[in-house]
Amino acid sequence: MRILIAEDDPVLADGLMRSLRQADYAVDCVAAGDQAEHVLLAQTYDLVILDLGLPRLDGFEVLRRLRHRGSKVPVLVLTARDAVDDRVRGLDLGADDYLTKPFDLPELEARVRALIRRGQSGGGSTLSHGALKLDTAGRRATLKGVSLDLSARELGVLEVLMHRSGRVVNKEQLAEQLYGWDEEVGANAIEVYVHRLRKKLEPAGVTIRTIRGLGYLLDKPEHE
Amino acid sequence: MSRAKTLRGQLIAWLVGPLVVLWSISTVIDYDIAKRFVNLAYDRTLLETALDIGRQVRVINDRIYVDLPDVALQMLKTRESERLYYLVSGPGSEFITGEPDLPPPPDASTDRVRYYDDAYRGRLIRVVALRVPVQPGTGKGAVLIQVGERMTLRTEFARQIILRMALPQGLLILAAALAVWYGVRRGLAPLVNLRAEIEQRSHRDLSALPAEQAPQEVQPVIRAMNDLLSRLSAAISAQQRFIADAAHQLRTPLAGIKTQTELALRNSQSDDVQATLRQLHTATEQTTRLVNQLLSLARAEPGARKEHATERLDIVKFLRDTTTEWVPRALERGIDLGFDGPEAAVHVEGNAFLLREMLNNLLDNAIRYTRHGGQVTTRVTPDTRRVVLSVEDTGPGIPERERERVFERFYRVLGTGAEGCGLGLAIVREIAQSHGAEIALDANAAGSGTVVRVSIPRSA
Repeated sequence: MRILIAEDDPVLADGLMRSLRQADYAVDCVAAGDQAEHVLLAQTYDLVILDLGLPRLDGFEVLRRLRHRGSKVPVLVLTARDAVDDRVRGLDLGADDYLTKPFDLPELEARVRALIRRGQSGGGSTLSHGALKLDTAGRRATLKGVSLDLSARELGVLEVLMHRSGRVVNKEQLAEQLYGWDEEVGANAIEVYVHRLRKKLEPAGVTIRTIRGLGYLLDKPEHE
Repeated sequence: MSRAKTLRGQLIAWLVGPLVVLWSISTVIDYDIAKRFVNLAYDRTLLETALDIGRQVRVINDRIYVDLPDVALQMLKTRESERLYYLVSGPGSEFITGEPDLPPPPDASTDRVRYYDDAYRGRLIRVVALRVPVQPGTGKGAVLIQVGERMTLRTEFARQIILRMALPQGLLILAAALAVWYGVRRGLAPLVNLRAEIEQRSHRDLSALPAEQAPQEVQPVIRAMNDLLSRLSAAISAQQRFIADAAHQLRTPLAGIKTQTELALRNSQSDDVQATLRQLHTATEQTTRLVNQLLSLARAEPGARKEHATERLDIVKFLRDTTTEWVPRALERGIDLGFDGPEAAVHVEGNAFLLREMLNNLLDNAIRYTRHGGQVTTRVTPDTRRVVLSVEDTGPGIPERERERVFERFYRVLGTGAEGCGLGLAIVREIAQSHGAEIALDANAAGSGTVVRVSIPRSA
């Protein structure tokens, strides 16, 4: 797996480079926009970590030219700005994800993993959450390789929760997902599905939390 | 302390003062003129009387008589209820008839008609004196006829004339003063409006003052003031841009330090080094927060506001979404974060970016100061005209005497043990004020913890 870091701050670039190398990625580093442009023309990467405030050629321009050439390499944008406009502009230009400086290293690493996985699978059909796997195409879930007995609606709920693992999923989002199966999905029905799902997953150490007034959350697995 | 002079007072003083002086001078002159004409008219009748007497002079046996019939005599003595005095004396100044003690003319020798003022029996009198030939052509000389009357009548007459002239003039001055008073008030009305406009303004509003309705004389002042306002606004914007730029610039090196520290923490085996690195990490987090808050404050302050247009927001969804974003952080710290609000949408007019910044600061504080196992709850409580957003925690609470001070910049409640830079609530207040919202800080129903309530006007 080859990653390009385009960041002009040497301390940050060094930290990123070493942490990613420890995770067994091959990492190249450039400190200016034109250099980034240059190496991106010569070399294929699995991920680009791109700072927007690069000297000589800014990150927006590097990104624009990259996408213009038709490259689909995942791009994680780093920026010291948090203006909504910049965020929208970056995403419009084809950035895949976005982090505001300063960030937590584990957060960055998680995004890097997710982006590389996405880039490889091309939007793959298997969701994974620790030992729990969900084949969205085959519509079946396994825990440590053992098939789980889940109804279609329970699978639907689990799919949404796994997609947004570690984040809150509200009842509207769940209802929307289940709309295809049921004509009318009330809030009570969702509570029932979550309750059943919880019972089936808890013995395996997978926790679905209820967040007061907000929805549900699938706890992040201990080891990803 | 000296009181500033009012424009109206000055105008009236400058108008009425000189007018009164002029009026007094003119009254004196008028009185003089009136007296002269009164004298002229009265003198003529006095002369007529003297001539009448002269026609009655007869010479019988070389003796000179004045033959005044009783009726004429009576008329002479009482004219218009004022006594007339007369004296006829012969060519040799010998007494013929009348009042012998009537004062003689100052110059008795000439033949011309003379008028003179004198005192007679303690009163001022006016006298006419003329010589009439006894028998023209006989060379018998001439008799001197003097007729006098008291001045009282003339003075009274002149006084009445002057009164009738001066009174309307005085009234005219009074009317002018009133007109000025009213006119100035009308003329200054735009200035009064301008004052009201400035007084009602919040310190955040640096937009130009309206100049259209002001009179031309005032317009340069308004233009100068608007110019000052725009320069002030530019200066504030520049300062805020500087803070924002500085904050941006600080973020990259902070990201470097943070990444390196986290990396070192992961790789180091020594407990000593670990302890140092953890301190370093905490310090970096604090600095990061400070930088972020400085940035928020620069954005929330007046001057930056025009960059943030307001929109109609469903505040229920807004608070729910913002609270949702904080769930991972709350779970990390073992805090039960929840939301409570109505099903239906409640709308307010506001800037989404700033309101999110405000709620983030409130949530950050609540989560930061609440211990593991505690609770944080956000609520939307709509009223008919306002909607209250509240963030309630089960933390240590803020002592009552400190509740006002916590909104000050860099103020921190001592002994809470949590790291903070003391800008959070200053930002909250700044943003709340820009939305016409009121903030209240209380303990929760159980008498512990903190509830921050922000009451925002609802939009239609």
